[in-house]
Amino acid sequence: MTFVQVRYGATDSFITMPDGSVHYIFGFVDLTGVPENEIFARRGKATLLAPLLEVRVGDRVELTLTNLGMPQRPDLDDSHTIHWHGFPNQISLWDGVPETSIAVPVGRDFIYYYEPKDPGTYMYHCHFEPVEHIQMGMVGPLIARPADYNPANPLFKTAYGAGTGTEFDREYFLLISELDPVAHEQVHRVQEFDWSEYRPAYWLINGRAYPDTLHTAPDGDLSQQPYHSLIQANAGEKVLLRFINLGFEEHAITILGLPLRIIGRDAQLLRGLHGEDLSHWRDVLYFGAGQTVDVIIEPQQPALYPLFNRGYHKNTNAGATPGGMMTHITVYPAGTLPPQPGPGF
Amino acid sequence: MPTQATANGSPTIHLRAVDGYIITPDGASIYIWGYRDETGRAAQLPGPTIIVNQGDTVTIKLTNELRENVSLMFPGQNGVFRLTNRGAVPVGPIYENGRLVSLTDYVPPRGTVIYQFVASQPGTYIYHSGTEINKQVPMGLYGVIIVRPAGFDPLDPATWSAYGPETDTEFDREYLLVVAEIDPVLHEAVRLGKPYRPSTYRPRYWTINGRCAPDTMLPDRATYLPHQPYGSMIMAEPGERVLIRYIGAGCDAHPLHPHGNHTRVVALDGRLLRNGTQDLSHKHFTVLVGPGQTYDQIFQWDGLGYDPVTNPIPTPIPNLRNQAIGDVGWTMWSGSPYLGQKGDIPIGVTSLNVTGEYYFMLHSHSEPQITNWGEFPGGMMTMIGIFPVGTLGPEVGRLQRNSRANSTRERR
Ligand SMILES: [Cu+2]
Ligand SMILES: [Cu+2]
Repeated sequence: MTFVQVRYGATDSFITMPDGSVHYIFGFVDLTGVPENEIFARRGKATLLAPLLEVRVGDRVELTLTNLGMPQRPDLDDSHTIHWHGFPNQISLWDGVPETSIAVPVGRDFIYYYEPKDPGTYMYHCHFEPVEHIQMGMVGPLIARPADYNPANPLFKTAYGAGTGTEFDREYFLLISELDPVAHEQVHRVQEFDWSEYRPAYWLINGRAYPDTLHTAPDGDLSQQPYHSLIQANAGEKVLLRFINLGFEEHAITILGLPLRIIGRDAQLLRGLHGEDLSHWRDVLYFGAGQTVDVIIEPQQPALYPLFNRGYHKNTNAGATPGGMMTHITVYPAGTLPPQPGPGF
Repeated sequence: MPTQATANGSPTIHLRAVDGYIITPDGASIYIWGYRDETGRAAQLPGPTIIVNQGDTVTIKLTNELRENVSLMFPGQNGVFRLTNRGAVPVGPIYENGRLVSLTDYVPPRGTVIYQFVASQPGTYIYHSGTEINKQVPMGLYGVIIVRPAGFDPLDPATWSAYGPETDTEFDREYLLVVAEIDPVLHEAVRLGKPYRPSTYRPRYWTINGRCAPDTMLPDRATYLPHQPYGSMIMAEPGERVLIRYIGAGCDAHPLHPHGNHTRVVALDGRLLRNGTQDLSHKHFTVLVGPGQTYDQIFQWDGLGYDPVTNPIPTPIPNLRNQAIGDVGWTMWSGSPYLGQKGDIPIGVTSLNVTGEYYFMLHSHSEPQITNWGEFPGGMMTMIGIFPVGTLGPEVGRLQRNSRANSTRERR
């Protein structure tokens, strides 16, 4: 049981697609531990994705949101919020919905408070004018660990707790979304965008399109897109994939050569009311906006396995192929890779 | 609100297919086709909710007051017949000169057709036109049928369940959310008698119970919305079991996401999620409702128990003058973090909060769908109000004959 304190700033920046195009975003920037006199320098440094939030059942979590304003849009005085999507039994004050509580104006702070009760894969995002602020990039992954989580003990390194059949050796999150460049351009130019005209041209995993999804080195052009999604494992390992759909479309994700064991959905272990095992196998994971799915794969053969969107037009970058929602799973002979220090990349 | 069958096991419901108008919060008036019952004069969206009991022989008369053939089909019901003076004949697709003109027996303008079926399974079902479906259903010719399980007594809460005893579907209050889309170009083309190409279908409005947010939160039978009689504000007290029925009446899928808690999906398409003794129900925080699907779910909100005396919230509440409240001109917040308490709301902001209740949004997470023609807030969004214990009357969240909503007859 830990008292967790984190602090995020809401601001803007730019991201880059593999075709060299640059897109204006809103987003969050990690301010945890940043001295007060250095906060201002983080304006304009939003990242897509927002930082991974990792909490544990039993923790007490204080999350401070600071609205840093948008250097690229000094005219814009939008407030922001943080909504823990799918988080059960929150009280409305900390639910992050401006219409049912408060929002944080430019230059102000607000402290959200959470007591995680249920482990699983969640997401967080701004809920102020959410169609705009989510599409503009105010999205991040959220993992709640079971109370008995212990990465040093294989029986307790699980997604949903010891004895739930959700042990894993490595884990990765894959937050998938889309980008409509016209919407981003209009927002940058202070023009109204008709959201019923939403038509994405880029499809993203962890804020990047293929082949940038494979680019593991920190890179100047991708400085605001911190998460690649090259998945690596040793043969015979159990790999937990936490899928989060924070786009506005349904997506069909498949991995050629690796069947998917679906063990959780929407931060709930797949169990019936009396403990019935509802986990199941799929080759294609089809899921909608605002859903999360926990998948375990167990690759046995060292090889390269492509992960892509079976809606093939989504494996493109502004019409050029290959691109979009695609990455690889590289499987090495047993014992090649050292243990994973933490989730992700 | 709903058309409740009488208890004799052979209810007769008379629907008319008519035209009319609905209004949207951005001031548009949209021509629709829809069904009405004996209490209405114009089309309502959605059509009247029909509530019958399991085992009833249900007779539905449809009178056509439109200018083209129209019909009713009953997905999920087996053994649907048309009553003729030569007896009952099974309904089926109608071909004329080699062309499919209707998926089911239709009635021409000014005529009446009589359908009959036995409601053999409890659950949530849709009814809609089976004729010129890519026009008539989006135009509004759809509604809901609820089949009560055997033993259900509207006067005895101990018998209230979606699927009967021992099915773990008991509830304290229940709500219907019928979701659909509107492409205004279609509606205008039909109004003017002009052609419309269904492949150009491009929704600009997204509806729950025929309304776009924020009208979704207005009460049933709001006078301002004479032809959209059903609200979709969900109200409950902590710990109550709330049955929420989602029905996909449009042509697109909608990922419906309630804040506050998961819903436990107990049935799909009017079938209990159970295999013998094996329970297949599952909790979700977002349910992707596809066209024609129905989902029955139990929602409960328990809360972290922040009682102002025993469990004060552990963070400082900032000066509210330093925070943004009511940017859209109104707020549903009470001004207090505690359930059942009210605090100060900044001057100039309208508070819609009644008694310190909490509100949790329920909305499509395909977020362009929570706009009205691209403008937030709007569309497929409503709220779940969690009220302090003991503050909601028994009439709230009831779908039954003589409910408050049903007792108000429209003036002719
Ligand atoms: Cu925001
Ligand atoms: Cu959300």
